[in-house]
Parts: sequence; structure tokens; C-alpha cells
Amino acid sequence: MADDDIRTREFVTPATSSSPVAEAVADGIAPSIRTDGLVPDVPASDGDVPSAALAADAPVTAPPRRGFREMLPRRSGKLVVGLVLTIGIVLFAVIAPFVTQDPWNYDNPVFEPPSAAHLLGTNNLGADLFAQLAEGAAGSLTVGLVAGAIAVVLSLFFGIVAGYVGGWTDEGLSLVTNVMLVIPGLPLVIVIASYMESRSMWIIAVVLGLTSWAGSAIVLRSQAKSLRSRDYVAASRVAGEKPLRIITVEILPNLLPLLAAQFLFAVVLAILAEAGLSYLGLGPSGAITWGTMLNQASQHNAFTIGAWWWFVPPGLMIALFGCGLSLINFSIDEIINPKLRTAPAAVKSVRQARKAQVRGEGAHPAPAQDAPVDGDDTGGNALEKERVNA
Amino acid sequence: MKYYARRLTFYVITLWAAISLNFFIPRLMPGNAEDIFRAKMARKGELTPAMEKSIQLLFGSDDQSSLWDQYLRYWNNLLHGDLGTSITKFPAPVSELIGQALPWTIVLVGLATVLSFVIGISLGAWVGWRRGTWVDGIIPASTLLQSVPYFWLALILIAVFSVNLAWFPIIGGYDTFMFPDGPVATWEFFSSAVYHGFLPALTIVLSSVGGWLLGMRNMMVSTLSEDYITTAEAKGLRPFRVLTTYATRNAALPSLAGFSVSLGFVVAGSIVMEQVFTYPGVGKLMINAVQDKDFALMQGVFLVITVTVLAANFLMDLLYGFIDPRARHNG
Amino acid sequence: MIRSKGRTRLLTAVALASGLTLLATGCGSSGDDGDKGSASKGDGVLTVWAGSQTPIVANFNPYAPTVLHAALGGVYETLFYYNKASAEAPTPMLGESFEFNEDGTELTITIREGVTWNDGKPFTAEDVVWSFTNDTSKPEYLASAEVVDPTTVKLTFTGPQFTNEFALLGASWMVPQHVWKDVPDPVTFANEAPVGTGPYTVQSTSDASYTIVANPDYWGGAPAVEKVQYLGIDANTSAESLLKTGKVDWAGMFVADPDALTADGRLGYINTPQDPTVLYTCANVDAGCAGAQTDVAVRQALNVAIDRGVINEKAFVGLAGEISPTFALLGRDDKWISPDVEKVSPQEANAAEAGKILEAAGYTKGGDGIYEKDGKKVELTLTSVEGWSDYNAAAELIAAQAKAAGIAVTASTVTWDEFSDSRQTGSFELIMGGVVGTSVADPFQIYRDWFSGEYTQPVGTQLESGEWNFSRYSNPTVDAAVNAAAATNDEAAKKAAYATIQTEITRDLPYIPLVINATQTFFDQKDFTGWPTEGDLYAFPPSWGSVSAGVVLSTIKPTE
Repeated sequence: MADDDIRTREFVTPATSSSPVAEAVADGIAPSIRTDGLVPDVPASDGDVPSAALAADAPVTAPPRRGFREMLPRRSGKLVVGLVLTIGIVLFAVIAPFVTQDPWNYDNPVFEPPSAAHLLGTNNLGADLFAQLAEGAAGSLTVGLVAGAIAVVLSLFFGIVAGYVGGWTDEGLSLVTNVMLVIPGLPLVIVIASYMESRSMWIIAVVLGLTSWAGSAIVLRSQAKSLRSRDYVAASRVAGEKPLRIITVEILPNLLPLLAAQFLFAVVLAILAEAGLSYLGLGPSGAITWGTMLNQASQHNAFTIGAWWWFVPPGLMIALFGCGLSLINFSIDEIINPKLRTAPAAVKSVRQARKAQVRGEGAHPAPAQDAPVDGDDTGGNALEKERVNA
Repeated sequence: MKYYARRLTFYVITLWAAISLNFFIPRLMPGNAEDIFRAKMARKGELTPAMEKSIQLLFGSDDQSSLWDQYLRYWNNLLHGDLGTSITKFPAPVSELIGQALPWTIVLVGLATVLSFVIGISLGAWVGWRRGTWVDGIIPASTLLQSVPYFWLALILIAVFSVNLAWFPIIGGYDTFMFPDGPVATWEFFSSAVYHGFLPALTIVLSSVGGWLLGMRNMMVSTLSEDYITTAEAKGLRPFRVLTTYATRNAALPSLAGFSVSLGFVVAGSIVMEQVFTYPGVGKLMINAVQDKDFALMQGVFLVITVTVLAANFLMDLLYGFIDPRARHNG
Repeated sequence: MIRSKGRTRLLTAVALASGLTLLATGCGSSGDDGDKGSASKGDGVLTVWAGSQTPIVANFNPYAPTVLHAALGGVYETLFYYNKASAEAPTPMLGESFEFNEDGTELTITIREGVTWNDGKPFTAEDVVWSFTNDTSKPEYLASAEVVDPTTVKLTFTGPQFTNEFALLGASWMVPQHVWKDVPDPVTFANEAPVGTGPYTVQSTSDASYTIVANPDYWGGAPAVEKVQYLGIDANTSAESLLKTGKVDWAGMFVADPDALTADGRLGYINTPQDPTVLYTCANVDAGCAGAQTDVAVRQALNVAIDRGVINEKAFVGLAGEISPTFALLGRDDKWISPDVEKVSPQEANAAEAGKILEAAGYTKGGDGIYEKDGKKVELTLTSVEGWSDYNAAAELIAAQAKAAGIAVTASTVTWDEFSDSRQTGSFELIMGGVVGTSVADPFQIYRDWFSGEYTQPVGTQLESGEWNFSRYSNPTVDAAVNAAAATNDEAAKKAAYATIQTEITRDLPYIPLVINATQTFFDQKDFTGWPTEGDLYAFPPSWGSVSAGVVLSTIKPTE
């Protein structure tokens, strides 16, 4: 594997040289990172396969030597909506449980439609569903966050260490990554979940985290490999810096937006997976999540008797939260790949200009970037979801 | 050739790991399968002494040998194509159960995957082409669709279209009242199967189309700002030609990679969805097996799923190695 | 790009082709050819859900645990029918009469004459002997079975077997010797074309359903409903929807809101509570149980602290029945309840009474309102199976009610496996659990299997097959009375023994009785008549009932 670096460098270097950095900077955006997508890449079987190959030759331009603020998403309608949804739901999960009834209090009349006393009505046992929704929000978000965090940490380890260290370490770690990738996720989780005697929320979160990191590890690995051949990394190495320091100081900051995107995506996936598990009766025991609420609703046939106040809110919350995070992801994607933002804006301005009968000079003002194939979140997104919902 | 040898080694190791996992996980499960089985049976109705005896005989045989012996025997049976006999669906061989379930899943989930890919890519190309216009408003909507839990959508579709409006059937892969003897090769049966597959397919398409759409849209936007597109436009090519021949083709490339992998996951099916619709596919078989601790069935299903995923990946590897020589070199 | 496109097409084609090939193989494995496509709703076909899940696999072997429901009662029959819904005497089926000898070691059975198997061969005494003595069915206590004359069979036992009357006469399937003697392994025999004496014969089996048709030569006269289709349905939700939309005519299943289903008058409904729901307590310190519940005073206090009325109303949607602490089924088994014990468990909470019991036993109320003794608080963990929402809710309610009486109960849910494991090994304090109701109008089986010291194991050891005494309760008085009851067929002697048992168990409460679970049955009364009703419970109504389903099937008629 020793010759691998050379190959990688050969691939990446020419691509980078043509990067019109100045243009991007003029655009007001850190020309920081050009990654190959925000989501765990197409979980192709190995780094060798095309998606990863595509990822590997996606150029990584000069490192961002500027403030973190530069990397923050810029305001856009999508971002605002995303943030509002996400923060709103998180606040709901944090605050609402303090102001609602005890979600395990069965003293209310049963199957009450929404009213002033019970904002979302009651279920078959008389539990207040607004209280359950709040408690469920806390549960689902906890599962999502813990699983997402575990997935990101693992993918960091397996991806970056493999990509940076190379050699046999890389071989070994990549093998593990790829095995994890091709073993179908949800079926595995189902088998493991049925194996566990007690399933607390935490255990479910850990299992989901442990089985969902492989996709992003592959993306990170190719990024790390590519970054490792950058001049400034080579310089640090020559300067005698320790690998750990190089990884944390030189490489990690460049991967932050990508990591953030992957974390958000992992959170959504974990929440969806938890809901699926719960529906099958393999969810956390003794805790309320949106998934267990849906499970209860379907067990008691809320769907056929029309108790919409029982089954609509939890599903909608999952969808809205996922939507919020996806929109944030979308905005992160726009930083990673400025074309996504500038191009539509440009088209828009052209159109407006035409409307104003002014012949604008920027008929095609989008900064022509170099990346041949960029932003490959397609497969990843759909595929990961498929695996989760499988 | 080194590339292919490495890939092959990888697949062999993965297969071994998956099969071993497959063997050990259920065996390390706590609780005695026999007790669990008996208790489940007792809950369903009277358990006659004769049945008690039968259960002992059914379970008793393989508890004597060590785990290692069982492991070897398992491999031996596998190599002979013997996946064992299901306990909960006794006396059906696991291979027969899977054989019956596979076509339903492959056709339904396969078609739905293809459909949602085609729709997603087409819509995505269009949305990307019309970037910066009102069409961008589709983006939030599709992220919402993308985040909807499959089974929730399925349950709502059933409640609305099957129970309340009675437009569609509630369960099954075909009309079992019309075909009480099972599948037959007639046009009526085929149309019944299509009719029964509509809602499940709709569920899959609705909830996965968003992902393809978004990815394709982003790729389109990136691609459309490439120099060669500018050149094409500058040459005065008709916009439609630029859209189809130049932009869409290139933008769809990464999606295709994702698509081929997702085809590999078709057999894993849509476990939860199949459960909701009582659809006679592989996913439901898996749930049944897990819930009833039917080891042989569980292992069989898991094996088939893993092998299909591996096969799809392997095929893709070969094809990509062929299409894109760089893939063979880039470790 | 062209290549890519080609690849997509190729993959699609491969997926489709493999799908179609497999579809073809799938088709090949369906059942035998009947008249295809003739069954549809409204033509007199009765559709039933008896709990089968898809895929359905043909198995009509009455000895197999995975046997399809229609085999038990529909195709195969027993000598007598014991109606678990009433206290009436057993109904003759293939047997005409039976008699035990004085000490219960011999049973003489007279069989029905003129019965034929559905393959045309006559049903004989030899068949009866074979049915009792083949390797699969032979009970351990059976010494011999012999043909006395063409209509009489005598069974000889190793000891008194009064208590196994039901097992022998009401749960032993009569199978034809001429078919079964050639079956190499009766356990793995799928018996896809069963030869039985019952009112129905199997027509066809597919992955989604199986169909049985009337046996024209049935000894009781051909049943009026000519065709019955049993469906495989995977979720209660789906079954409920199918009942609602008229696709299923007969199902025994739990429905929280039965009135919604029966509103339009098409579906009839009957609730026949059978199985007790209790709190298992690990009661026996000597067997290794630990925790506050090992003190009988705590169990007694809990027993009166529980508000069963509220539990039934809230957790069991008001559908459960009242329970007798004697575990005799109220109504059916009333004659067995000793006049000296409480007939029905208290339906209202009495926290004061609970306090009195605890104080009398030396407990004092702590500052937090919880009783304690020797510095140890009365704290208990009550587990219920995750997803059994009625049990979960009941556990929550009990926790709240116990707290009001100064007992700290923490309700938690566990997986089914954990539940199964803890009750098998005795590692628990309190569990929300069920007791299997008896199949005859006699609580004896519960007393023996659930309360006697011979049917349990020390904590840490798994109970053996057939042992149900999860509480580890062991009381020599009860054991002796159980043995006395087993050895007699004299009603007065049995009553005396039961009275002893009842005095002991209503005081010791190793299982704290809660309610009797609902057993709900829904049936299409518009298209079919003759269903069991509250007024005429001629058979146990649910579609999954073994033997009883055959009785119901041969009784109902299509409406004209």
C-alpha cells in the first residue's frame, strides 16, 4: 500500500491546480472544503468502488485559514425554516415535559378528541397525548443524538485513521467498515434487538449508532486520504508533528461541515430506525418515544377508528424534525459546494435583470468550479434511508 | 488483476463474517427456544400432551452437540444448500419459504425502487434545470417526504384508502378470496397482484423519491455551472438538448451508483412495510422468524439478504472496474 | 454515459428476470387443484381468522405444534366434547359413554357405531386403541389399551387418573390406524390430506389461506356451511379492518372497542372471559425468593389495596370479568367454591385495611408514607411485558393504588424473553401475568399445576415442561389436598379437598388475583345463524378453540 499515496497525490494534485480560488473567495465564502457530498456517501462496497473513487478525485482545495464563522451557513429561507423546525422541536422536547401532565397518568377519560384540557386528546387508557408527545420528543431526540454521536465518532475513527495512516491499518479498518456496510442494517438491528433481554432507550441508541457509521466512514476515509497529500499537511509532517496532532489540528477542522452534515443525517436515520423498531415491538421498553407512541396507536387500531390525534402527531413530528435537519443539511451542502447556492441565485438575478429590461453582464455568473462530479449525496441519502426503512 | 483478487478476497471474508454472525447471534440469545415456543403455543390455545411431546422431539435433537460442532454442521448444511426446517412453519423447509417470498419482494420492492429512482431523477433534473425559480419550493416538501416514516405512511394509506374508502385491499399480495388455492398463472391473478401491490409500492415510492430528487437536483445545479454547459449554451444549442444530452446525463452518474447499490438492498425489502400490509415477502418472513425465535428461518432470511447485497455490490465492482479504470487503482 | 444507461437497463432486467423466475417457482408450490376462483364473498363461504399468520404452511397433523386450526375439531375429533364455557356434562362425539372403575385405574369407553373416516373406511375400536398407544400420543401413565369388543375400549393406568379425564377423552385426537401405522415419523408428518372423522375435509392450502369443505358423510349429518376459508393475517389491526369491511366472518381476538365493530348489526359479539390475570409473587423464601413480597402480610395488604374495578375499567376497557380468589371460574365453577372463603376478590381498594394488616404484622409507616419493618421499606418492582399495553396500564394503576396504601411499587416493562426467563427461574418480585384457565368446569388443574409444591423448582432452576408454579409456593396442606382430590371421583370428597386448598391459597395469595381476561369473539350474524350466544353457550365461541370450533362449524347455518 506504500505506493498508494503517490497515486492519490497524482490524482488529486492536477485537479486542484486549476481551482479558481480567488473567485470563490471573492464570493464571500471560505473556499474551504470541497467535499464530495454531505451525507454518508453511497455506501458502495469499498473505497475502491466508483462512488468513493469519485469522492477521492473530488479536489480538496486550499485549507481554510480563517475563522470558524466563515464556515457557518449563510442565511437563506431554507436554513431559517430548517433551524426554526429543529430548534422548535428541541425546545418542545426540553420544555414541554415540565408543563404537561404526567404522560403515564391514566386518570383522564379515554379516547378524548383534542380539547382545551387535552391539546391532543387522550389514548385508550386516558393518557394525555400532548404529554406523551412531549415525553416522546425527549425520548426520540435522545436516541437520535446518542446514536448520531456514536456513529460520527466511529466513522471518524474508522474513516480518518484509516485514511490518514494508510497501510495495513487502512486495510484492516477498511475491511471492517466494508463488512459493516454490506451487512444489511435494519435486519441486523432487528436481530440484535430481539437478542437483548432488556432494551432501554440507551441500549437501542447504542445499537443504532454501532450499526450505522460505515457509510460516512467511507466518505471520511477518502477525504482524509486526499487531505493527507495536501502541502500544508505534508509540511506539518515534515516539521515533525505527531499524527494525532495533525489529524486533530490540520485535518479535522476541514472536515467539520462534512461531519456536521453527517451527524445531522445520522440523527434523522436513528430516529426513523427507532420508530421502525418500535413499530415492530422491538423498541425501547419502559420509555416513551414517537416510535412507541405509533406502535401503541397501531396496536389499538387508532388508524381504523379514526383517532387521528393519536397517530398523526408523532409521525408528523418525525417527518418535521427530519425535514428541519435535512434543510440545515442542505444549507451546509451549499457551503461545501457553493455552486448550489450561487447558481440558482445567479439564475434568479439574471431573470430579474431581464425582467427589469436591463442587460446584465452576468449572464452566466456562476463561478465555474473545477469539481467534475461533486455533491454526491444522491445515492447516500436515498440509500441510507432505504436501509433504515428496509 | 490484483484489483479483482483483492475485491474477491474482500467478498469472501465478508461472506464468512456475515454467515458466522448469522449463526452465532441467534444462538447466543438468552432464553430457551423450546420454552419460548411452548409458552407461545400455550397462549394460542390448549397444548395437548401429544403436542408437548412433539415439541420436545422437535427441539430436543440438536441440543446435545457443542456450539462448535453445530457451527461446522451449519456450514456443511449450507454448502449442501440445506437451510434447515422452520420450526414455526413446520414442516416447511426454509429454502421453500424464502423461495415463495422472494419473488413478491423482488418484484414489488424492485419495481418501486426503479420507479422512485426514475421519478426522482426526472423531477430532480427538472427542478435543477429550473433552479432559482418557484420550483425550488419543492425542496422543503421533498425533505419532508424523505423524513416520513415508511410504516406510518403505510398505515395512513391503509386507513384512508383501504378501510374508509375501500378502494384498495387491506392485506396480502393477491386476492385470496378469489384465489383460495394460491397463485395461478392467469391474467386475473396478475391484475389482482398489481392491485394489491399498488399501495405498498406507493408507500415506497413516496417515501424514497425525495432523496433521489434532492440529490439529482443538487447534481444538476453543479453540473449546469460547468464550463462545457456554458460552451454548449454559447454554441446556441437548444435548451432542451442541453438539459437532456449534456446536463442530465452527467448529473445522473453518481445517482446511478447509489441506485445500483439500492437495488442490492431490494431483497432486504421493506421489512416494516411488508408487516403493515401483510405482504408475503421476505421482510415479513424475517419479522415472523425474529418474533418466534425461529433460528433456521431467521438465519436463512438473513443469509439471503446478505448474499444479495454482496452480489449486487460485487457486480457493481466488476462493472465499474470495467467502466472506470481509475477505480481499479484507487485504494 | 451510454454504458451507464446500459448498465441500469441490465440491472433492471436482471432484477425483473430473477423475480419472474422465482415467481414461477412460487406458483408451483401451491396446494392441490380445486375449483379455482369460485370462492368469493356472499356465496355462502365462511371466512375465518383463527390467528394463523402468513405464510401458511399445510400441516394438518394433530400431533404437530404448528398444526392448522381447522384440523382440530374440523377434521379430527375427540371422543367427547368438554365445553369449557359451561358446566354441563361432556357431549358424546366419537365416544358414546365412558366409565372409570372404582379407584380410577381403568377407563372403559363405548364408541359410536357407524362412523366412517373421510376416506370411506370405518372407524373402529382398533383406531381408538392406536390413537392412545402410538408413540406420539401415548401418555406415560397409560399401562395398556385393549379392544374389549368392536364398540368398547378399555384403558388401564398405572394409578388413579380421574384428573386426566379431559386429557384422555376431550383432548386425545382419534386418528386412523390404517393411515398412521405407515407414517415413519408422526412428529414431522405434515399430513396435507388428512383422513379424519370430522365435519370437514381439507380442500386446498395456499400461502395466504386454506379452505375446508363439508364432509357429506359426517356422522352428525353434513354441515350446512359448505365451504370455510381460513385466512392468514399478520396483525390484529388488519384483522380488525377486515372484520369491519366484511371480509372476515368469524374471529376470536381482542378488540378494545367492540361496539364500533358491531354497530351496523352485521357482526355479533360475545365475550367469554376464561383466563385469570394475576400478580405472580415470588412467595417462597425457602425456595430462594427474596423481597418484601415473601411476607404474606405484604401480599395480603396488596390484595386489598388494589382497586380491581378501576383496573378493569381503565386497563381492560371494562371487558374483563371478576375473579374469584379460589381460581374457580365464576359462574361455571361456582359449585366448587367453598362457602368458607371469599367468593369474589374485592373490587374496591381499601387502603385502611391494608394498613391494618401491615401494622398487625409489625410494619410502621415511615415519613414518606411507605411502611417499613426493621428499617426495610416495603418496596417492590412489578414487571409487565413491553407492548402488552393492558398489562402495562394495569401495572401503572396498581403502582398508584399501592402507594396510596403505603406500599412502594415500581412498575417497569420488560421484553417478553426477560419476562419468560424471570418467571421460569423465579428471579422476580412481582409480575403481571396470566394463569391458564381450565378446559373443564373444575379448577383442579390450576391447583395442581400452579399451586402444588411438586410443580415447582427452587429459584434459579428453570421450571420443567408442564410445571407452572412460578411463585415457588409450597404448602404441604395444599399438596396433600391436591393428591387427595386427584385420587377420587367423589364430588363431596373433592369439594372437601378443594375447600382446604382454597382456605390456604386465599390466605397465602402466592398469586394475587386481579381479573379474568376477556375472550372476545366476533361473528357474522347476518349471513350465518346458530352461533353460540350468552343464552346458549353450546360451545366455546372463539374461532381458535380446539374441538369447540368444529362443534360451532357443524352447528351454524347460512341464512336463507
